[in-house]
Amino acid sequence: MRMRSLPDLMTFLTRRAALLLLTGLLAGACGGDGGSGGVGGTVVVGMRSDFGSFNPVTSSGQYDLELMNYALFTPIVQYDENLDVQPYLAESWDLHGDTGVTFHLRQDVRWHDGQPVTAHDVEFTFNLAKDEQTASLLGTAFLAEVAGAQVIDDYTITFRFARPHAQALEDFWWPPLPRHLLENVSPAELRNAPFNRQPVGSGPLRFGEWRANDRLVLLRNDDFPESLGGPADAERIVFRVIPEASTMLTELLTGSVHIDIPLMPDQIRQVRDNAETELHSYPGRTVYYLGWNNDRAPFNDANLRRALAHAINRGEIVDALLYGEGEIATSTIPPWHRLYPDLDPVQYDPAQAAQLLEQAGWVDRDGDGIRENAQGQPLAFEVLSSDDPLRRSVVEVLQNQLRQVGANAQIRVMEFQTMLQSHRERNFDAVFTNWVLDNFQIAAAPSALFHSREADIQLSANRSTVRIPALDAAIERGGRAPDEAEQRAAWEEMTRVLQREQPVTFMFWLNELAASRSDMNGVEMDPRGELRSIARWSTGR
Amino acid sequence: MGAFILKRLLSAIPLLIGIATIIFFVLNLAPGDPTTFYFNPNVPPEIIEQLRRNLGLDQPLHIQYFKWLTSFFQGDFGYSLAQSRPVADVVWEALPNTLILTGTALVLVFAFGMIIGVLQAVRQYSIFDSTSSVVSLFFYSMPSFWLALMLVLIFSLKAHTWGWPIALPATGITSVDYEFMSAGEKIRDRISHLILPVGTLTLALAAGVARYMRGQMLEVIRQDYIRTARAKGLSERKVIMKHALRNSMLPVITLLGLYLPFLFSGTIFIEVIFAWPGMGRIIYEAIFQRDYPLVMATSFIFAVIVVLGNLIADVLYAVADPRIRYD
Repeated sequence: MRMRSLPDLMTFLTRRAALLLLTGLLAGACGGDGGSGGVGGTVVVGMRSDFGSFNPVTSSGQYDLELMNYALFTPIVQYDENLDVQPYLAESWDLHGDTGVTFHLRQDVRWHDGQPVTAHDVEFTFNLAKDEQTASLLGTAFLAEVAGAQVIDDYTITFRFARPHAQALEDFWWPPLPRHLLENVSPAELRNAPFNRQPVGSGPLRFGEWRANDRLVLLRNDDFPESLGGPADAERIVFRVIPEASTMLTELLTGSVHIDIPLMPDQIRQVRDNAETELHSYPGRTVYYLGWNNDRAPFNDANLRRALAHAINRGEIVDALLYGEGEIATSTIPPWHRLYPDLDPVQYDPAQAAQLLEQAGWVDRDGDGIRENAQGQPLAFEVLSSDDPLRRSVVEVLQNQLRQVGANAQIRVMEFQTMLQSHRERNFDAVFTNWVLDNFQIAAAPSALFHSREADIQLSANRSTVRIPALDAAIERGGRAPDEAEQRAAWEEMTRVLQREQPVTFMFWLNELAASRSDMNGVEMDPRGELRSIARWSTGR
Repeated sequence: MGAFILKRLLSAIPLLIGIATIIFFVLNLAPGDPTTFYFNPNVPPEIIEQLRRNLGLDQPLHIQYFKWLTSFFQGDFGYSLAQSRPVADVVWEALPNTLILTGTALVLVFAFGMIIGVLQAVRQYSIFDSTSSVVSLFFYSMPSFWLALMLVLIFSLKAHTWGWPIALPATGITSVDYEFMSAGEKIRDRISHLILPVGTLTLALAAGVARYMRGQMLEVIRQDYIRTARAKGLSERKVIMKHALRNSMLPVITLLGLYLPFLFSGTIFIEVIFAWPGMGRIIYEAIFQRDYPLVMATSFIFAVIVVLGNLIADVLYAVADPRIRYD
């Protein structure tokens, strides 16, 4: 018989397989992540992408900046919940009118290697940021209006302003670097200094270990001064990188991860319905807008842009696509800021849109549902979007809404970098994109986006080629005015001009979403960021 | 054989230089540039220029190319732009993670695939043959990312909510308190993290191997020399394991040659879903961030492994089938 000895083979093979399976199952039984509680107050945070680097001068990632300002380092000043500036590393200051400021630093803050944090470190960091070789975001964007620094004594330093400007103290929301560890690094090499991936900071948490795309471990700094809130409550905070939203939520629901940043809008219900998890939704710093190419027909006509703005039902988009987690935008000033001008947004009004279009000479002359101008050219254009699912669904709704008033918008979806390049080179008709505020200085965004001095600079941020003198005047007034009443008036004026001229059409502010285990302590998130209360996070209520 | 291997290795050199060149130029022709990674609207264009100078991106393309090629052959892969550290460090950190995952998976894929294929062929049309065919085709035709998510749903999320004694970790390579564990716990922890990703890969790939193995085996056991082997009184086990199996190995060796590169590259979807910090994610993220030095180094290493995989397969052909000679 042919098959006689097969059972042999079968038993041999199945015994092997069974053994393998058994080992696997046994291991599984004893596996499972630490669960809530962990070892000695370990807080586990799931993030969708990894951090970049930790150097206040060269880092530019949103989460990098947050972690430096709230956990690893000690910024000179800090924001409170009203976004007012409070003393932090500097325990007090003397403003010299609008020409400069002197900071008196605390004497009890130490680097994590034990050295004191002094005015020399602050001066060193300032000079590095200002050094062109470092190509620093801090030096060029945040410190644009600060001309020089001078150390008075070990704990006193004076900064000189380049010119009078609004929100001047907010220029100093950045932490110093330790001079004794970095003075031998050449400025051009600073971006690649090993320090940036194993920083020695001065904040309530100190650096522990970092494995790229896997985990970043922070440890409690027991020396952090009580008057600044004291050492972190958690003994250890572990950031884990989990790129897939659904497995990340699984980890939160099983308790392996305590905080989940960010959450996807379609996961809200699952988190809200579960007694063990808590939803955090708060106004964010990202504004979405539809950028028109003001240099290109037909968008060189303000009437047309205004008409299209009336044709867009932004309320519907916020409710249907954002699950209500957003707010209609009127400018780059966020609704939660004290300088926000509370003006009504442009109303959704298709009848008025049609009327404006007719006034501008756009009439459906051949009955195909698309309007044409006097020369017979149809009102057709391309809208660029990246391949992000939210953006894609928004432009699809937009296309439909514009079609209702006789405008033919063709969607062109591109990979993000490719879209960005077309946008920067101003090779587009219209683009749906967003803007993220790095800080809370109101003048920064509009002067980059809309000021006409940027209009002719290649690759500048004024990619819609906006040249509106009234807008320039309002932006300059808002950026220079010393007192808040005048600033507020200027920003209100700016918003009115933006509404009237529609150089870009603002769509909505997107809420930030996160989730945490219900038994976590101290998780509070607001526009200052997800990580802003990190020093108070702990497990086990 | 030695001369053959040497010849193949030498002929691979111009091939690899060609690949490196193509990678370099294709990448530089793609829209976007790495400075947009640090892109911030408030940064004036002259600072972006300075950054480009620091990164050497202001030089003409052919100069960049020769600079890159020279340092490349000196073993200097440059700095990762996104991670601000040497490319070699990035690769060395991720490579062992990928090798653990894909190495384990490959062994299991070929072990299970071959065993199932042989058993199916030997017991053609039996209940075992038909049920295992249906099951393996089921997993073979299922999209792997979906299979992965289902496994997470059942063995991690539902196992936890239903209070099963076994709930597997859904993501990561070790637990967060790994460093506080004893040696035995560490091993168990690592294995428990391996089960779901390795399981997904094995279920998805072993089915393919089994189909090839079954087909070839069926052909071989009908050959005259198998009948001869039986006729001279060899045990069935010896007939199958020695004479038939060896002669049915050729298509499986081809598959092995094709799967070897994936030992290095990992599989992006598995690494993304299970948050496995390996090479697949490094390559994927480097491309989206336009991290040129990292993309070039990893694609080049990948090309080397593809060439090596083919060479190994060719050598194994000769080992499995004495009729194949490379002279």
